Amino acid sequence: MTSVRPKLKPETPKTVTAWETATGNVVWLRADQTWTQDLEEIGVFTGEAAEAALAAAKTQEGSITDPYFMEVTADGEVAGRETLRESIRANGPTVPYGVII
Amino acid sequence: MYRYDEFDAKIVKDRVDQFRGQVERRLSGEILEDEFKPLRLQNGVYLQLHAYMLRVAIPYGQLNAARMRKLSKIARDYDRGYGHMTTRQNIQYNWVALKDIPDVLEELAEVEMHAIQTSGNCIRNVTSDHFAGATKDEIMDPRPWCEIIRQWSTFHPEFAFLPRKFKIAVTAAEHDRAAIRVHDIGLHMRQRDGVVGFEVHVGGGQGRTPIIAAMVNEFVPESEILDYLEAIMRVYNRFGRRDNKYKARIKILVTETGPEEFTRLVEAEYAAQQASEKIALLQAEIDRIHAYFAPPAFEDKAETSDAFERAKAADPAFANWAKINLHPHKQPGYTSITISLKPIAGLAGDATDSQMAVMAHLAETYAFDDIRVTHAQNVVLPHVALDDLYTVYRELDAAGLATANESLITDMIVCPGLDYCNLANARSIPVGQEIQKVFSDPAYEQDIGKLHINISGCINACGHHHVGHIGILGVDRKGEEYYQISLGGRADEKAAVGQIIGKALRHEEVPGAVKTIVDTYRDLRTSADEKFIDAVERVGVEPFQEAIYASE
Repeated sequence: MTSVRPKLKPETPKTVTAWETATGNVVWLRADQTWTQDLEEIGVFTGEAAEAALAAAKTQEGSITDPYFMEVTADGEVAGRETLRESIRANGPTVPYGVII
Repeated sequence: MYRYDEFDAKIVKDRVDQFRGQVERRLSGEILEDEFKPLRLQNGVYLQLHAYMLRVAIPYGQLNAARMRKLSKIARDYDRGYGHMTTRQNIQYNWVALKDIPDVLEELAEVEMHAIQTSGNCIRNVTSDHFAGATKDEIMDPRPWCEIIRQWSTFHPEFAFLPRKFKIAVTAAEHDRAAIRVHDIGLHMRQRDGVVGFEVHVGGGQGRTPIIAAMVNEFVPESEILDYLEAIMRVYNRFGRRDNKYKARIKILVTETGPEEFTRLVEAEYAAQQASEKIALLQAEIDRIHAYFAPPAFEDKAETSDAFERAKAADPAFANWAKINLHPHKQPGYTSITISLKPIAGLAGDATDSQMAVMAHLAETYAFDDIRVTHAQNVVLPHVALDDLYTVYRELDAAGLATANESLITDMIVCPGLDYCNLANARSIPVGQEIQKVFSDPAYEQDIGKLHINISGCINACGHHHVGHIGILGVDRKGEEYYQISLGGRADEKAAVGQIIGKALRHEEVPGAVKTIVDTYRDLRTSADEKFIDAVERVGVEPFQEAIYASE
């Protein structure tokens, strides 16, 4: 069971995100449809290009897992209702961890 | 302490080999996530926000030094140097790579541990009183029966695909520290005319439909308990709903059927069991399991310890810690200690690899090689001589493990929340930290007395918010974090579900609201001896509602 993912309109800028299967690392799709772990490098898609990008990602579900659309601004900033979740997913927990207080 | 026989060892080893093959096929693309997901879940592997999470079973929270050292090594070698203790007395690793998990499971098998049945619609880790075998207020040690139930429920073919997950808890103490009334089955050990047996509670649970369990049988003798459990499970397996996962837990069946009719169904199923079906649990087998949990070789000691008294007089911080974090032991001259994993502004329930190593060392050196994980996300050394306590304390203090707050307001149950969890709607950890800061003055905190705050980041209630004296539930309002507060919940022998006191509050409003609740309590309590929960039960939630919402 995963959280409910909002449906995005065709014209809403978006990227494709997933997890790298071997490591579980979060990955995003670049404009050239290769995967990156750097949020600065993501591709921004709309309309049919976005659907094509997601469809292509779904053909790679050996090396990546569970690709889905993530809302972004035209400039590639995390946006929309899932901003907090996706920001945490991108940047890690909002609290320091693995340290002795 | 449980032990594997050669069959257990082989079963676990075979399971590791099987999962290694499944992971290899997943990594090669031979099988995809839809096919792999049920396989990984059967081995405790979740996919969370940032990474895979591996949940490792700790049977009824029972560890020894070797097992704790292994958990420390796994944290260091395969994760990011820490692990998270859970409300099922298990441990979770948050960053382990899928490609490494077969190796992790192989390492766990070396110390008789695994991740089997830590997920999925099966019988999960049996939980118990973390002071079992040590506390003065138990009629016997419940762990042998936890172990017998664990052996019965592990790989039980009939109960591998239940309508939904299934949780069993066992206690033998009058004061219920195992929250048995919010479990699918809660067992309270009793003695009647010299016979050991179980008071059986069924259909408790939390999640989106919190329900306190119904007592379906006052006394089932120990010789019949596994057959009786089978009867309950069969009724659930047959009549439990599979059409709607939100109505699939046994609590819904018990509620919709009615406790009386449910009990009648169980009794009928039990009566219909053929003699050949009965689990002929031989006394020799019961005795063999009990022998694993024989009391340690305690020395004859006086009730008091001069060394302990001198140390308290010389070191006020130690005296303060000893006042709060000790629990009375049945053996004179010994005590049980709670190692709080709730430092102020720390991560509730987390222990670093080095802290785990320290706890292993202390258990081995001073505590008869016995360690427990508590459902409140702390660690217990159940058997420590008062004479050794100051030495143990100083080592704990040096490792950041001597927070003096057991069962006080800063000792909260906190789920991982949106900082880690794929299901969460809101963060839990920062809210807990901010509340802790409000109550970080020890004098203020101790004046408040025992008070359980439980925080969940979503309705699934992993943080047990329904049964917190103060419960806090994170909800999502159009992408923003809000928190619903409830009062009056409790998980003990007087178990109750908390009452929501009003509209949800914004993240930044929560610490102030909790302070208002606490200060309202301090104003209206009859004396310093009236605990928060007792005061709430006496006056109801209205004075607290007024204090928080009056200005609106």
